[in-house]
Amino acid sequence: MANSPLVARPTDALQPSKSLPTSSGGTPSGGLPRSARGQRIAAEARPAMDLMEQMNEDEKNKYIKGKKLGEGTYANVYLGHSRVDASVKVAIKKIKVQKEYQDGIAPDAIREMKYLQKLRGHANIIILHSVFSSKDQNLNLVLEYLPLGDLEMLIRDVDHVRYGAADIKAWMGMLTRAVWWCHDNYVLHRDIKPNNLLIAADGEVKLADFGLARSFADPGVRMTANVITRWYRPPELLFGARHYSGAVDVWSVGLVFAELIIRNPYLPGNSEVEQIALICREIGTPTEENWPGVTQLKEYTVPSDVVPVAGKEKYMGRFGAVGSDGVDLLAKTLILDPRRRITAREMLEHRWWKADPKPTPKHDLPKKTAGAEEKAAADLKRRNGMVEDDDVRGSKVARKLDFGAAR
Amino acid sequence: MARPLDPLGFEDEMCPVCKSRKYLNPDIVFVFNPECYHSMCLNCANRLFNDGPNQCPHAGCNKTLRRKGFRSAFFGDLSVEREVDIRRRVAAVFNQKEDDFETLQDYNNYLQMVEDLAFELVNGSDEKRRQAEAQLAAWEAEHRQDIERNKKAGREADEMSRKRLAAERDAARQRRIEAIKEAEEEKRERVRSREMELDNLAKGITTAAEPATKVQLKRRGQRGGITEPAAPNPAAAAVAGMGASEVERLSIRGLKEKPKAPAPQGPYDPFGGMDFAPSRYKLHVGLAHPLMEKYRLDRQHVAGGYSFDDFAARALYEAFAGLGVFVEDEKEVGNGNGLSQAGEMVAAADDPDRMDLD
Ligand SMILES: Nc1ncnc2c1ncn2[C@@H]1O[C@H](COP(=O)(O)OP(=O)(O)OP(=O)(O)O)[C@@H](O)[C@H]1O
Ligand SMILES: [Mg+2]
Ligand SMILES: [Zn+2]
Ligand SMILES: [Zn+2]
Repeated sequence: MANSPLVARPTDALQPSKSLPTSSGGTPSGGLPRSARGQRIAAEARPAMDLMEQMNEDEKNKYIKGKKLGEGTYANVYLGHSRVDASVKVAIKKIKVQKEYQDGIAPDAIREMKYLQKLRGHANIIILHSVFSSKDQNLNLVLEYLPLGDLEMLIRDVDHVRYGAADIKAWMGMLTRAVWWCHDNYVLHRDIKPNNLLIAADGEVKLADFGLARSFADPGVRMTANVITRWYRPPELLFGARHYSGAVDVWSVGLVFAELIIRNPYLPGNSEVEQIALICREIGTPTEENWPGVTQLKEYTVPSDVVPVAGKEKYMGRFGAVGSDGVDLLAKTLILDPRRRITAREMLEHRWWKADPKPTPKHDLPKKTAGAEEKAAADLKRRNGMVEDDDVRGSKVARKLDFGAAR
Repeated sequence: MARPLDPLGFEDEMCPVCKSRKYLNPDIVFVFNPECYHSMCLNCANRLFNDGPNQCPHAGCNKTLRRKGFRSAFFGDLSVEREVDIRRRVAAVFNQKEDDFETLQDYNNYLQMVEDLAFELVNGSDEKRRQAEAQLAAWEAEHRQDIERNKKAGREADEMSRKRLAAERDAARQRRIEAIKEAEEEKRERVRSREMELDNLAKGITTAAEPATKVQLKRRGQRGGITEPAAPNPAAAAVAGMGASEVERLSIRGLKEKPKAPAPQGPYDPFGGMDFAPSRYKLHVGLAHPLMEKYRLDRQHVAGGYSFDDFAARALYEAFAGLGVFVEDEKEVGNGNGLSQAGEMVAAADDPDRMDLD
């Protein structure tokens, strides 16, 4: 088979900028000979500015930017390494300039910075090393480099990646600890899904992408209901709730759990209406009986044929691979009424973790295969709501032969 | 037909006509004509074919080529280029879907037939290739309508998924934008309520306006007795019972937010060795505060799953943590309210008479 014609070229390395950005007065801001610096201090307001800019320059010059790793809604992510030690790798997340916010920094970036800083120090939360701004005022977040892809790649690569209940338990443990840590620090993540769970070289799963995170709100403060990618969005948000809790993230965790087991999105609705219909069909129709007050939510509408709430037996059929305790935990994350849904802390107190099999040690967890890179491109399409034929047909069907093999 | 030209190494790629080499002439561009997949340099192609159709200059090749048919290769290996072209042609004609077949077995047989045919076209002898070409043409003639229909369906499916992808991107962007609006709205709200508060202070009015603030609590304290003194209850007692040393420890807890890595040995700990909660202050459910009471029965809070216990915990936590750490958050949007209130809530707890806890 011929090599892929698509060659990813590393972008130009971030050079130590020769033409440094100039401050408003037009004075070059950094790299001046010592003698010149004394003069500048004489000018009243200058020193603070220059110091800040100098610090920014220093921070920026610590890293050399390399090839592009990926692209998200509001950022491009590049590989980078330390200038002094090329073996020290980082991911540089360069926030796209947004038309709406030309002056001032992109608010999502502030969000991400703020919460990553606040949640720092947990093994399952991506580390923010530093922040600097590059020319044209683009904000760059220097993040821990996580080279082994994301959970979605593993879930989707059915041809090469095999995993079992012990592996699922290990991954779920890491995810649940990350979410518990967020909630214990009064932060809602609001975008939990497999592709925001990145994997470190040692197999540790790290929660990333805090672009939608926020602190728990005070009573009476309205939050937006339009958060969390549809397939992982809980019913209260689909019904337009503006006062919610960590239960929204727990629902997403439950859907990641389900997806890890069946290796396909569990509730892949093509629209919000369809999403609600799927929830009703699979989990049960939200009613005043199983969820007091639900009918008062602004966007409450459900299909007319009321489906009773699924019992554990129903889940056993499809998710039995994680055992009866695992299914019990799953069912509790998918409780319709957010007030009765299990919390992240309670999840960690569940008996499943102590039951057999023991979670796989992180070093022994399955890893993405070499081919995962190409798959990633395909995943990029399907992660956005499209399910490719191949995923559905699975391995039943003879595939069209690879023409490389026929030569 | 002569076999396609064997791929030459990249460095010493040479035009077989004029013998120029890539090595000596790095700007050289190679082109080929899909009639026979023989390559030559662009100069030669222009020279030989600009004046009209001509015979391929490769020894033993008797194809007549036109300048128009030449193009540069996508793949480095022209045999791959050729195979891809052939397969593309085959796939355009044999574009049936699984749904078009009665059984999976039928579909698999069809796939096998198509693959055999493509293989002959690519690798077969002249005789076999002619046969395969004939089969291909026959199928095309016979199934013209099906082919057109499937082609159209394919385009529509592509279009659909393209649209869906675009819609998803849009939705993601929309979520970001709304999250931003949410923050701005909160900021405005805070400014507004602060202004209102100041206005009221200036007018000497104390209202029960939300959010309940320091000022309000103090006033109540001074006026002592206007609000009904709270009946002692376990929650209040718990808060009141926290001595100075307790407070000390709690504030330290706020500071040691960067925990050490847990020891890896021992049985699996679902909390990863980081569960400090049991050593914290005890939080009693049902802790009350005017701000909470106002919304406790609000349907939107209840049905939305809003957690008042979380609010109480956060308010207390931030009160203590605020002593040492999150000064920045104080200034931040949406974070400060709970903090100042909790400070008061706890301070008030020193004197049961002044408590707004019930
Ligand atoms: N630390 C990292 N190490 C390696 N790759 C990364 C890292 N961070 C991000 N990436 C890659 O970049 C992609 C986009 O990153 P990220 O999800 O953070 O951006 P985003 O704009 O918030 O995206 P979205 O909201 O669309 O998911 C990821 O899917 C991943 O492939
Ligand atoms: Mg992402
Ligand atoms: Zn030539
Ligand atoms: Zn020829």
